[in-house]
Amino acid sequence: MIDETLRNELKRQGVFTTNLAELYNWGRKNSLWPLQFGLACCAIEMIAASMARFDISRFGAEVFRPSPRQADLMIVAGTVTKKMAPQVVRLYNQMPEPKYVIAMGACAISGGPFKQGYNVLKGIDRYIPVDIHIPGCPPRPEALLHALMALQKKIESDKLRGGGRPRHLDPEQPSEFPVPECGAHDLVPTKNHTLWNPKPILRKS
Amino acid sequence: MLTQNETNPHLFLAVFIAVAIVFALTPLLIARLWAKLFSPQKRGPIKNSTYECGLDKQAIGWVQFKAEYYLYAIIFLVFDVEILFLLPFAAVFKQLSIGAVVAMLVFVLLLVEGLAWACLKGLLKWRQS
Amino acid sequence: MQTLDQIKATLEQKITGARVEIVPNGIATLPGSLLVDNAHALAVANFLKNDSQFQFDFASNVTGIDWPERVIKEKVKVKKLVDGVEKDVDEVVEKTTPAYLECVYHLYSISRGEGPLTIRLRTSDRGQNVNLPSLTPVWRSCEFQEREVYDLFGIQFTSHPDLRRILMWEGFVDHPMRKDYVEPDDYEYEPTPHDELIAKAQRHYPQEATS
Repeated sequence: MIDETLRNELKRQGVFTTNLAELYNWGRKNSLWPLQFGLACCAIEMIAASMARFDISRFGAEVFRPSPRQADLMIVAGTVTKKMAPQVVRLYNQMPEPKYVIAMGACAISGGPFKQGYNVLKGIDRYIPVDIHIPGCPPRPEALLHALMALQKKIESDKLRGGGRPRHLDPEQPSEFPVPECGAHDLVPTKNHTLWNPKPILRKS
Repeated sequence: MLTQNETNPHLFLAVFIAVAIVFALTPLLIARLWAKLFSPQKRGPIKNSTYECGLDKQAIGWVQFKAEYYLYAIIFLVFDVEILFLLPFAAVFKQLSIGAVVAMLVFVLLLVEGLAWACLKGLLKWRQS
Repeated sequence: MQTLDQIKATLEQKITGARVEIVPNGIATLPGSLLVDNAHALAVANFLKNDSQFQFDFASNVTGIDWPERVIKEKVKVKKLVDGVEKDVDEVVEKTTPAYLECVYHLYSISRGEGPLTIRLRTSDRGQNVNLPSLTPVWRSCEFQEREVYDLFGIQFTSHPDLRRILMWEGFVDHPMRKDYVEPDDYEYEPTPHDELIAKAQRHYPQEATS
């Protein structure tokens, strides 16, 4: 491993040094292809972010793919209803590794204003691992770009081997997550306990 | 017979083929090596299933399409090309001489002839299988 | 547009056996609605759509209402002997209205530029007899909205062409907009809950919510 001071010195002299992980992450972070789907009004902001004024292509993420097979990034933009949740999880499962999720807007994070509704999922992170949460109702396109930059920073710092490496490089970590089923009263199960485990609250029966 | 200094004139072909094969295989091998060293393959029943916009698959995707679609595509092409030529024609219609109009009419007539032929052949009738 | 009384009179005159009742609005300045009996609802709807003096050709909105059993207090003037003298005295009478489900249609006439006329259909109770005639054969725009009413309130529309759930999935058994719907117990702790949530939290997690 090259020393940081030596590296900076070399850089000043016009010699660029890098390593495999950096090169790999640099390539990946600048070509995040999102999956093209929108669930509610946040999708409009997502569309605005991809248009000329905000121009998500500055970050290499303008190639919205119509098929999960070609996508790296899932932007859950909008309210996830309980009827839609199994489809979203299945789409996530069908994406090849490495894959990332941005939960965009209050609804995708927690159910938002519809949290107590009978048909709204209380946050997509109950079923799939979310990398970046963007609050807002809906978030502005700048917020989405900020989330994308945060995700790029996250990818930048990924290790190739050893402990702390990202999920997709770890053979032990799953790539598919169980798809919930529509039950008689609610989705079954209501959450994936390996992913979503808030502090338990004791009940006085 | 070859002398010491002369080389086989076909040698460069062999070199080309070898380089081409190496050139094609190297990225594949690197990708393979990369996958083996770092990125584990994660297959699964859902990931490998047919993509149906997130829904459960209804049936397999290997179905036969009727050959008639092809004929319709060809006939559509006739009109497509016709529009392609008629649009610029329409834009300068007023400045054109009578000869140009007649030429265009002949062109349209040729296309209509093709359509009439297809119609007489019964290609525009959709046959239920 | 004609007044409700006129429309009621016309309907009862033209359609034999139809029982139409005027339901006043809770706010006196707003127009009330017509309660039509289920047996003649289809005939009444057809008449309202096709008759030249009404021409209600557009059903803009179909809604369900769930009325649980409730007690209505009414002030009634009763003659009573007070100190030996007969006087009019206000007396509060409590009436119990049985529970029922209601389906409300808002009708407009685009060709005459009139509307809305509100008509109501009422089920006999909210348990077993929840059948209502579907008005989809008269106004096609009712199809999805009646499906929604069926989904959320559980009103069974007879002769509806395609009565399936529309918002909830097949296999869902409850009707979420009914007053007695109990949502699945899936409470999450929230730092800034609404009043309703505080009550719910106190029901479920007494120590947490009050601390």
